[in-house]
This record gives sequence, structure tokens and C-alpha cells, in this order.
Amino acid sequence: MPEPSSPNPSAPEGRPVETRPVETRPVETRPVETRPVETRPVDTRPVETQPVETRPVDARSVDGRTAETRTGGSNAGGDTPDARPVRTRTHRRVRARFIAPVRRSIGLRTRLTLTYGLGAALLAAVMSITTFGLTRENLMTQREESAEARAIANAARIASQLPNGAGPAAIEKVLSGLPTPEGAQPVLHYQGQWYATNTIDFGERAIPDSLKATVDGGQPALMRASYLDAPYLVTGVPIPSLAAEYYEGVPLSDLQRTLDGLAISLLGASALTTVAGGLVGFWASRRVFAPLLDVGRAADAIAGGRLDTRLPVGGDPDLDLIAQPFNEMAQALEDRIERDARFASEVSHELRSPLMTLAATVEVLENSADEMPDRARTALVLLSADVDRLQQLVEDLLEISRFDVGAIKLHLEDVLVAEMVIQAVSVLGGGGVPVRYDPDVGDVVVRVDKRRFGRVIANLLDNAERYAGGATALTLELVDDKVQIAVEDRGNGVPEDERDIIFDRFSRGSEGGNRAADSGVGLGLALVDEHVRLHGGRVWVEDRRDGESGARFVVELPVVEPAKEESSAARSDEGGAS
Amino acid sequence: MGRAMGTRILTVEDDERIRTAVKMALEDEGWVVEEADTGEDALQAFTRNPADVVLIDIMLPGIDGFEVCRSIRRASDVPIVMVTARADTHDVVAGLEAGADDYLTKPFAPKELSARIRALLRRARTADPTVTHLRFGDLEIIPDEGVVLRDGKEVHLTKTEFRLLVELASSPGRVFSREVLLERVWGYGYFGDGRLVDVHVRRLRMKVEADPANPRHVVTVRGLGYKLQQ
Repeated sequence: MPEPSSPNPSAPEGRPVETRPVETRPVETRPVETRPVETRPVDTRPVETQPVETRPVDARSVDGRTAETRTGGSNAGGDTPDARPVRTRTHRRVRARFIAPVRRSIGLRTRLTLTYGLGAALLAAVMSITTFGLTRENLMTQREESAEARAIANAARIASQLPNGAGPAAIEKVLSGLPTPEGAQPVLHYQGQWYATNTIDFGERAIPDSLKATVDGGQPALMRASYLDAPYLVTGVPIPSLAAEYYEGVPLSDLQRTLDGLAISLLGASALTTVAGGLVGFWASRRVFAPLLDVGRAADAIAGGRLDTRLPVGGDPDLDLIAQPFNEMAQALEDRIERDARFASEVSHELRSPLMTLAATVEVLENSADEMPDRARTALVLLSADVDRLQQLVEDLLEISRFDVGAIKLHLEDVLVAEMVIQAVSVLGGGGVPVRYDPDVGDVVVRVDKRRFGRVIANLLDNAERYAGGATALTLELVDDKVQIAVEDRGNGVPEDERDIIFDRFSRGSEGGNRAADSGVGLGLALVDEHVRLHGGRVWVEDRRDGESGARFVVELPVVEPAKEESSAARSDEGGAS
Repeated sequence: MGRAMGTRILTVEDDERIRTAVKMALEDEGWVVEEADTGEDALQAFTRNPADVVLIDIMLPGIDGFEVCRSIRRASDVPIVMVTARADTHDVVAGLEAGADDYLTKPFAPKELSARIRALLRRARTADPTVTHLRFGDLEIIPDEGVVLRDGKEVHLTKTEFRLLVELASSPGRVFSREVLLERVWGYGYFGDGRLVDVHVRRLRMKVEADPANPRHVVTVRGLGYKLQQ
């Protein structure tokens, strides 16, 4: 699909909200007054004006729109014949106002989830570190105090039990006789010799030099050290009476294990808290977002033509801040569109009575045209032609205003598409336009309002007549599960950039404009578009496939399952009747 | 078909200009046109001197076109053409159910109106002129006399209903599509309004069927049309 719009560099992007209260003048942002039926999705327009927009969300929505335009017509009116058409074609008149600058960032929901998750993680970390620190401090202090007390007691015991000048055997005996809970290892430095009960696990070498120096200086001291990769708490107590120093090493590995266990538990708890925080964030964001999604859905519904869509008000005072202005906007839009549509409809209705009189009197005059002077007869021919034209215009206007107020009721029937097209051409006098189709199209059934679809064919042929010297062929072909009805002509074709706008109301393209004296009223193709859309199909114009100059208008309709075969249907009916 | 001299047409229309213009156009066809600008006037005029065709605008001050249609229909089987504002509203079906034989939407070309009137004035006849008496169970059709009997008692059909029945009876058991019936009974082509057929079949069943909800004679063949059977 061509993109006729050009980015508007002066689009007033980045206005703060306060400068334009949206709810007071919603129509400002869209030219509804000129094209009342256009319930185009608002978000297609920002994208058109902002080609730099690269947010994935928006990009997706653009894709979605495009896909809908191309294939999704069927849900516009296929099942519900009185549904209003969804206008999805891109348009050239582009004017949009942004009330806030576009922020390029990750999605709001992701952000909220992450914020909650990070908050929970931070909180958990602080709590864990504090808990760990306090516990460690507490346990350590306890351990140190008991170790110190015991070491001092043991030192006193040595001082009292060890006779001066005792030999190594006596020293060993005293040392091994000391009470050593918690696996404490006694070490004695006496007369330059080191004595220990178990020099493999803990001996002189396990005692840090700085501690030795301190205790040598007559000061009891306590130090954490590690020996053979195991942590120890080493307490040194000088024994002045023996000129000896007593050391005691308490293994801290159990404490370390406890603390490790605690750390792991805290870490796990923190991780859980973080995840829980994230989940809460996710849940909360969904809760917070749900009303926003409702707004989006409502806006979509309005864009899709259901102008009476409103948001519920009164449930939540905070959400009402969004819902109320939204509803006011929707109401203003609906009122405006209805007013315009009603106006067009009323004008057309009012025109019908005088037209009726005109048509009848012109006919009366024509009945006696033979008795008129030449000048009067010429004038009558002009009058008659323009009465016809006026009548057509009023009929078209009425029909299109019915689209606008959504008052179209299709009278759907299952018909053989080929037969219908042939009949439509023959009703119009044909003009020798050949209808060509493959044998497999012969029994293809479509569900249409015959009267309206006859007008579609008539308008396409009429269009070819006016602007391209007449249609050269009408072809039907089956493409996937759709049938394409194509009207070809031998005109100049339709330039790429006009292929969309020629389906707009009162737009005749450059070709049409050149024939100002012609009698076209410029609603024919717009009606074709509306009718086809209402039938769940789509219409477009392309170049002729054989490479020759000329346009090819294609109407694509969904194919329905053919009606039940005669015999079974008849039998079931009889069965029901007897 | 030629001009049916002396045919009288009653036009009920409140807009004087339209009434006059249509009257002139119809007079050019050789018909005698009587005018009425309200429903009450129309009923009085019809009672005084029944017309051969009645043309009623639905939008009338006072009693509306539907009521006028129903009142006339109670007393007569005269062909009635309704003039409606729109073809796709309920108006059309309501008008047909009130007893109208055909309808036109405003603005219409008087030539179209003349064609409608001529189609309604055409005499009913079967495809085979030798067929003079048809019997379908409890139903008897005597095309020549324009009489239909059910259980031996005469059933009052409008001209259009009668022609529809005779058309179906011309080939018993054959399925007639709406398009074919529209063409043969009303003179419409392929793009005629199928609701004309549907509503008239409904009206016909009310009169010729013992149980209109379970028709035995005028049977619907889903997706295809209607047929007449024993």
C-alpha cells in the first residue's frame, strides 16, 4: 500500500499536557468535520507523522494495522452485516498533536516489575547483611569471651600446678590435664621451649608472631588466625610466675560453618524476596495497567466505529481521572460525528421531495418533447440529464450518510458470484463488456446484498466509462479462498500516489479533475469502498497485468460454503413439513 | 402491453407538488388519476369509488400509510404500491405485511412507477393455457376464474398472491428461485428485492395452508427458493 503521507516536520511534538486539555477540544486533533465516518485508529497517525518512532510496541501496532487493512476486512462486516466499517486505509491529511514527549525506554510494566524487584533485592540485601553482621559479631564476642576466660583460668591452673623447673613430661601431663572444651588446643611457651598436646593439629607455628610479641610483653591478647586452612581463635596469657606464656587455640570452623549456613539461608531468603518483589511488581503493574488497557481497548473500539464505547466511571476516583475525560472525548466525538451524519442525511432527505417533483415533471415534459421548439427541447435534454445526475448524487449521499450513522442493514443472500456479475453487467446494458472467468469460479458462492453489490459493479463500470473510455473486461478469479472481481480499462491508469485517495469521497484524482465538464459526482468509488468493506471484502486499484496502459480495479470478496445441494435440502424441508 | 384506458389510479401523497407531478406523468400513460392528501381522504375516496391501483406514501399526516394499506386490504384485493423513504428499513417489510404488493423508494422515476403498475395490472395466467383446473390435496386452483378453494371453500387472494400461487402451480414440485418468481410475478430482474417473494409467500401461506407454521403446499427449499407440492 502506498504511503501518501509525508512526515510533517513541524508536528507540534512534545507539548506539555497542561497547554492543551485534551478533553475540551478532542476534535482538534482530527479533521472529523470533513470526513465524519472516518473512525481511523488514532495511533496510525502518530506513526505516519513520526517515522523515526522505533519503539517496538508502536512498530508492532503499525504492522497490525497494515495486516488488518490487507486481510482483516472480513471481521469488519462479514459476520455482522450491520457493523460499521473499520476505516484502516492510510490517509494523506496527517495532523497529530502529541501531548508529551516520546520517551524511548523499556515498557512501563517491565519498569514497574524491575523497580519492585530491585527494591525487594535492596531491602533483602540490607536486612541480610545486618543480620549476618550482628549474628557474627554476637557469636564471635561470645566465643572470644569464653575463650579468654578459659585461657586465663587455664593459665592460672598451670601456674599453680606446674612446679618451677618441671620437666617436659610434667608439662605435658599438666597440659593434657587442662579442661579443653570446644576442641581447644593448649600450647605452652616455657623456658624457650614450646609444648603442645597435639602439635600436628595445633602447635607453636599456629600462633601468629604479633600475638607472641604482645603476650611476650606481658599482655594477654586474643587473635584470630588460620592454621592449616582452618580458622582458629588464639588466646595468649602470660604467666609471670613461671616466666611462661600460655596459648590456647580454639577452632572456629564450627562457627564458620554456622555462619556459612546463615549466609546461605540469608542469600536464599534474599533471592526469594527479590523474586517475590518482582512478582508483586508484575502483579501490581498488571493491576495498575489493566485500566489503561481498558482505555486502549475502548479507544480501539471507537476507532473501529463503535462510537458508543465508554469506560466505566465511579469505581475508582483515581481511574476516573482518566475515564471521565476519555468518556467526554468519546461523547464529543460521537456527538460530532452523529451531528454531521444527521445533517447529511437530513439534507438528502429534504432534497428528495423536490427531486421527486423534478423527475416527474421532466418526464411529463419529455412526453411532449416532440411538440417543442428545438431550443426548448435542447434545454429539456440538459435539464433531464442534470435531474438524473442530481438524483444519483442524492441517492449516493443518502447511502453514504447511512454508512456514517451505521444504519446500513444488509440483506444478505448466498449467490453465485459469476451469475451475479453477469446479471449486473447485463442490467446496465452491458456495453459489450466481456465477463471472463475460469470454470472453477462458476460455482463459487458469495454472501452479498445483491442490490448493493449490483451498485458496486455498476459504479466500477461507470467509473471506467467516465475516466477511461469504458471497461474492456471484467474478470473473476479465485485467489486462495477469496474471489477477485476485476474491472479493467484502457485509460491512463491511476498514479501510484492516488490509488488510495480515489476511493475518498468527492475525490476524482488528477484524471477526474481534468474532466470538469463530466457528470461524475465523485461518490461512486467511495460507495464501492464502503459497500465492499461492509461485505467483508476489500477493493483496490492496480496497473493492468498485461502491461498495457490502463487501470485494474479489483474487488475481493470472501467465498462462502455453497448452499446445500438441492435434494438433501428439499428432503429435510419436506421432512419438517409433513 | 399498451395503455389500459380507463384504468383508475388512486394516489395518496401529502406533498402537493409531487402529487401533481406524478398525476401528470401517470395521466400521460393514459390512466385516470385520483388524488388524496391524507389517509382519511384516501379511504373515503376508495370507498366511494374503488380504484384499480392504489399508490400510498407511507409518511402521511394523520393515519399513516400502513394503516391506509391495511384498511383498503381488508375490503379489497386491489394492487397497492407503497412509496417508502428507504429500501433497507423495516418499512418495506412492514408495508408488504400490511398488504402492499410492491414498493418504490423516493425519489423514483415515474417510468419506473408505470412499469410497476403495468406489472400489477397484468392478468394472472399459467404458462400452459390449457390448464384450467389444478388440485393439490385440499387445495383447488381454477386459474381461468381466478378462484382458489381450500376444502371446497373459496379463499380470497390478492391478485399478486394469486399469480404467485399460479406460477408455482404451473410446475408442481419444481423449485422456483426468488429471482424467477420476482421476474414472472413482479417483472423484476435479477436485482429485485427477494423480500417481496418472502413476504408474499408468508401471506399466501396464511390463506392456503391449514397450519401456516408448518406449510404443506407452499414449501421453502432452503437456499434455493420455493415450490408447490401436494
